[in-house]
Parts: sequence; C-alpha cells; structure tokens
Amino acid sequence: MHQLKQYWVAEALEKDLGDPTQPESVMSFKSVMELDEREEFPEKDVEWLYNWNLHHYHIPVEYGGELKSYEEFVAFVRVLSRRDLTTSITFSTLFWSGLVWMAGTHEQKQKLAKFIKDKHGAMCLAYSERAHGSDLVGSDVQATKVPGGYLLNGEKWPINRATISGISVVLAKTDDSGGARSLSLFVVDKSEIDPAGYSNLPKIKTLGIRGSDMSGIRFDNCFVPEEMRLGQEGAGLELGLKGFHLTRTLCAAFSLGSADTALRTVLKFALGRKLYGKTVFDIPHPRTTLVEAFLDILVCDCVTIAGARSFHVAPEQSSVSSIFVKYFVPTAVEKVVQNLSVILGARFYLREGHDEGIFQKVVRDNAIISVFDGSTVVNLHALILQLRQMAKYRAKRNAATYEKLRSRLESRFSLEAPLPPCERAKFELFSRGCDDVLQGLEISLEHLYGLKTDASVDAEVLQKLITLTSTVLEELDAQDEFLASSGFEYGHDQSPESFELAKKYCTLHAAAACVHMWVYNRKILGGFFAKGEWLAICLNRLLMTFRPSSGIIPSIYIENVAQELLKLDRENKMFSIVPLQLAQAQSPEEKTHAASELQLQA
Amino acid sequence: MQLQNSSSKPSEDLSKNHLQDDNMIVENSPAEAIQTWLVTKLSKQLSLNAKTIDVREPLTRYGLDSIDAVTLVGDLEDWLGCELPSTLLWDYPTIEKSAEYLVKEFDVSAAVSPVASSNVKDAGSDKTEKVEASSKSSGWGGLWNRISGS
Ligand SMILES: Cc1cc2nc3c(=O)[nH]c(=O)nc-3n(C[C@H](O)[C@H](O)[C@H](O)COP(=O)(O)OP(=O)(O)OC[C@H]3O[C@@H](n4cnc5c(N)ncnc54)[C@H](O)[C@@H]3O)c2cc1C
Repeated sequence: MHQLKQYWVAEALEKDLGDPTQPESVMSFKSVMELDEREEFPEKDVEWLYNWNLHHYHIPVEYGGELKSYEEFVAFVRVLSRRDLTTSITFSTLFWSGLVWMAGTHEQKQKLAKFIKDKHGAMCLAYSERAHGSDLVGSDVQATKVPGGYLLNGEKWPINRATISGISVVLAKTDDSGGARSLSLFVVDKSEIDPAGYSNLPKIKTLGIRGSDMSGIRFDNCFVPEEMRLGQEGAGLELGLKGFHLTRTLCAAFSLGSADTALRTVLKFALGRKLYGKTVFDIPHPRTTLVEAFLDILVCDCVTIAGARSFHVAPEQSSVSSIFVKYFVPTAVEKVVQNLSVILGARFYLREGHDEGIFQKVVRDNAIISVFDGSTVVNLHALILQLRQMAKYRAKRNAATYEKLRSRLESRFSLEAPLPPCERAKFELFSRGCDDVLQGLEISLEHLYGLKTDASVDAEVLQKLITLTSTVLEELDAQDEFLASSGFEYGHDQSPESFELAKKYCTLHAAAACVHMWVYNRKILGGFFAKGEWLAICLNRLLMTFRPSSGIIPSIYIENVAQELLKLDRENKMFSIVPLQLAQAQSPEEKTHAASELQLQA
Repeated sequence: MQLQNSSSKPSEDLSKNHLQDDNMIVENSPAEAIQTWLVTKLSKQLSLNAKTIDVREPLTRYGLDSIDAVTLVGDLEDWLGCELPSTLLWDYPTIEKSAEYLVKEFDVSAAVSPVASSNVKDAGSDKTEKVEASSKSSGWGGLWNRISGS
C-alpha cells in the first residue's frame, strides 16, 4: 500500500479491477472495446462498481458514506478512467449529488444518501438545452408555481444519463422577468412523479463514449412537489455555478486516466517495435515525445491535486481554483494524446490491434472533457473577469495576509497534512481576488533559497529551480502591471488578447503549483521526485510559451526522466507524482482470492 | 458559465434620480454617494453616458450580466472596505436598491464621508490605476532583495 493513506482506495479499486490488458479483468480493454463497438451501455461494469461500494465514496461521511477528501476522490476516478471513460463518465453523474450536499435540507440529504446507497441510484444533470448551452440564464424550461409545487415544461438536451437515471437535477425558469435570480434547481425523483409528465429523448450518436446514455428529457405539465426544489426559489444559477466548481475540478481525473493509458500503450509500442535495427524508443524524437508526455502528466498532477485539496483548505477560492484545473488539465492532456498519436503512426487510427485499439478510443473519448461542465473558453472568460482583482489583491498583500497564506499553502500542498472536511457552504461565486497558489509563489521561492544550505539537494538543480521560479515571478509581475494599466470591459465581448492573458495566467499558475508541490513534498515523495530535475524541465517547458528556451536544461536530466518512465512502466506503477501500484496480471487462482477481499476495511 | 446579455436599450426619459452631468456630482447622503459611484463606474466600463443610467432600472438593462454583477461587487468591496455578499447585485438588482441596502446593513462611512468622497470620482478609473510596487518594498524578511539580486 502507498504510504499516503488517501491513495489506498484507488489502489484497492485498481487491484480488484485487475490489469486491463488481461481480457478476464473487469473493464479490460477487450471488453470495453467490444461494448464501444456495440455502442452498448456498460450496465454490468456499473453494477460491479456499485457492488464494490464505490458509490459510498460519493456520499459524505456525515450522511453515512465514505467521501472524506477530494484528493482521494480524484485518485480513484483516475484509475477507473484509465480503463474506460464511458463507464467512468457514466458513474460520475453521481458527482452531481454534490449540489445536494451543498444546499439540500437535512431531509433531502438523507433521502439522497439512501437513494444512492440502498437503491444503487444515480442522477443526471439537466442544464443544457438545444438552443442554450453555455447561456444558462437563457434557459427555456419553465417551472410554473402551482399549489404545493411546480409544473415543469420544456426539454433538456444533450444530457448524459438522462434516460438511465432515477433523478434528474433540472435547472428551470421560475421567474419570467429573467436575470440572475430567475432560475431554480429541482432534484426530480422520477419514481415520485407521474410518468405521463415526462419522456426520454432518443439516444444520441456521439464521437466517443459511444455506449453512454446520451439522451435528453422532456417535461409536459409535469407536477413536481415543492420538496424537490433545491435551495430557495431563485437560487438555481448560484447553486448551478457553485456545483460546477466541484465537478470542473473532478473532470481532471478523467483526463489524467486517459493520459495514463495513452502513454502506457504508446510506450509499450515504442519499446516493442523495431526499426532500423533498434526500438522506436531508441529514436530521439519519439523518446523525447514520450518523456514530455510523462512530464506534462506530472504538471497536470500538481495542478489537479492542489485543486482537489483546495476545496478543503480554501473553499472560498473555489471559483478560481476550479478554473485553473478545468482549463489547464484537459487542454494539456489533449495535446499529450495528439503528440503520442504521432508515435503510434498508422496504428493510432485503427480500431483494433495494439492493446485492442484502446488508443483510438482514448482519442475519441477524451475529446469531450474540455467541452462539458463549462468549455475551455467559458472557463477562460470567467477567469478574465477576475484577473484584475487578483492583480490588485496581490499588490495589497501584507504581513498578516501573508502569514495566513503561508499556512494555507502548507495545508494545500503538503500531502501528509490532514485535510479538514470540505465546507461546501463556503463556496463563493468569486474569490475576492485571492489565488493562494500564485500569490504565495514568493513563499516557495524563499524556501528554495533556504535549501542552499541543505546537503540533500543538488546545488546545480537548486540553482536552476531558483532561476526558473524567479522567471515565473517576473512574468507574473509583468502581467499584473499590464492588467493594472489596461482597460477592463464587462460582458462577453472580451478581446481575443484577454483570452491569451488568461491562458498565460493559468500556465504561470501551473508552474507555481509544481514548485509548491516540490517544496512541500520533497521528503515525503522522495527519490525521483525529490531530485527535482523533472521540476526544472517542467518549469522550463511551461515558460517556453513566453520565453524562448535558454538552454538551461542539461540533456542528462531528460535522460534521467526517461529512465524513471521506464522504471514506472516496468514496475507497473501509475505515471504520476504519486506513482501508486497498478494491478498486476494475475493467475485465475489469485483472482478468486482477490474477489473475496473485495470489501475495503473502513 | 455564460449568462445572458440584455439587449434592451436604456430608457431615454430621465427620472429625478439621474445625474444631471458627469461633472456635477451632488452628494447629499451616503446612499446617494454609493449611487453616484455605481453610475460612474458603469458609465465608464460599459461606455454609456451617465445621464442615460436610471438608478431604478435593473442593472441587466445596461448590458451588465449576472457574472459581471458578481465581479462588480468585488470593486464595491474595495471601495467600501467591507466584505459584501457576492450576490448583492442579484438580490438588489437596481442601483437604488443596492445603495439603500448597503447603507442599512453595512458601515460605509469610511468610504462615503465627505473626506473620502474624492474616491467617488475615482470610480472606473482602473485604466490609470497602477498596481503599486508596494509588494517589492514591503520587505518580507529581505526576500525581495534576494529575488531582485538573483
Ligand atoms: C457528450 C456530451 C455530454 C454532455 N453532458 C451534459 C450533461 O450531462 N448535462 C448538461 O446539462 N449538458 C451536457 N452537455 C452539453 C454541454 O454541456 C454543452 O454542449 C456545453 O455547455 C457547451 O454548449 P454548446 O455546445 O451549446 O455551445 P454554446 O454555448 O452554444 O457556445 C458556442 C460557441 O460560442 C463560443 N462561446 C460561448 N461562450 C463563450 C464565452 N463566454 N466566451 C467566448 N466564446 C464563447 C465558443 O466558441 C462556443 O463553443 C453534454 C454535451 C456532450 C457533447
């Protein structure tokens, strides 16, 4: 078991699912490819996950579940996603229970916990409409007040799991005059409404996650009792947006799972295929591409883990912490997958062969992550509106705010630091200018200077880290200065340049997250992680977007990363800053034994 | 998450709450000072003539959408020096109502007292506002010197 307890659930799930390259494993590549070809809903796999009690990890401990930390959560979604995004995304509609944990009454919470636990229930999120995707306030679905409840009318589409779920969380208009308080949320339990009041729309054919229940739902004068309304009337938009803070962060786990499979399967190919008398891995270009993919995953890890932990440490920053994750990780992983496809060459396009053709499925499935739960542009836009305030806040930091920041940074990044429970009621629509990660960069820089006297750190690596981190700081200072002296517009007509500024901010944020992660976990994670060469290359890569490479990285660093990549692959460990043990191929005898150990000790 | 922009045009007829002139700001009460601040801010940032802003009309009529209204609260907080509910302008969607609410529920005297009233004229002056290099001089444990020297 990993020394960090929060990774035990992921490791146990991984072990019980088994090695996905072995056809007899649960959700093996072979079986998920067959389901995908038939565009069939992964009913058996979903039921297996319920029987494993994975749904308990979606219910907070206070309501009889096992959900303790979002860091733990992200880790198990990741091991699930490395096998199959169809099942993982299907199972993940349980994320939306977060809205009820955030804003439900005690009764609503108890009821939902029972629904999930005892009935193996699931929900879908019905926000989008044909005519309105990102524009939530434009929603046309109406909830008209009548004695004892509301009459729902209209259609939600395209909705994941709209048909095969017992509850639809529906965003509907309760006030015709429009505006921010015109929407309300309803947790519509299908078993408690008249079936004549709603109908399911036909399955939609999609590029990826083909077996998903992509459909929609239509309401016709459907009576829903008042008890199904979540929060106050008019709270729909506010809750809807705060719910996205949670799920946007969790979406990164889908991307990270995809990335692991993409890299693992291409690495296997590169090591096995011989050309010109050597392996593809021995050719410099593919070798570097593989190493870079690994490094990009490490950066995404730092961003994601920091984002997941921030729900517990700084819930009032959820509006920005979720953007950093949802913008950065899916975009970076899309690029990783694209770069890796070059190495597979013709095979990347084949729906069979190498690892059952799983790579092309990853390409297709992974492409949706940056679109749903708020697309890349929508996230960047939301960041643009807050950038100026973050610059102002940063300029105003003083000794008192700095000390608080120091303590929050430590709890957020030190993976050994226990996480307090997530106080979802503290989520805010804007962060009041706070962004601990970039605003605390000087703190980690100070730590780096402090390490100069530490014999356990290689002096040359440390000097590079100091130089690179100082460059990140310089870029941030310059951007803040620019923001302060440039005009600011409200609304949707933000200039393309401001989108570039927001992207740059996210990139600097990722760099800072990596630095903090190293500073606070050097001793905890040890070995390759502690040496810090990976961090120097990652910072250099991130900065390359704005500063031409200064040739600061010796080629030996890259070679050492290549060796680590090979080692993790050999030992069958996750490509991650927390390289947990992946499932090993088992003999049938061992398998029976494992099945009897399915239930985790609490 | 993207929210709707209002497309309707501000009303042409001026009520008595309209400002008579950009430069003729008359403040009789804290509520009026806040109204003036909001009108000035909106007129600058949405490129509207302040005269056409009616403090009794919903803010969405001036093209300020839901998320903008949240960020505007941040600016109000900076000016008033107190923490406000992020949905303030959702719950009190006109300039008149939000100003009334603020005066009733918060101590706004620091910002809207006559001495501080020059701040009102600064509303919307972000174009010239500089992020101070204060952080560099605040000398956190001599860190800054080392950074600039590295
Ligand atoms: C597989 C799949 C699963 C889905 N699951 C669900 C679900 O479970 N529940 C649900 O409610 N919805 C779901 N959706 C819908 C999805 O959330 C919407 O497609 C998404 O919100 C984007 O909306 P849209 O595609 O209609 O784009 P629109 O909102 O119509 O936007 C069109 C384009 O305008 C531009 N644009 C929009 N906003 C901005 C902005 N602020 N700044 C700059 N440019 C902008 C962008 O280029 C954008 O792509 C799903 C969709 C798919 C494909």
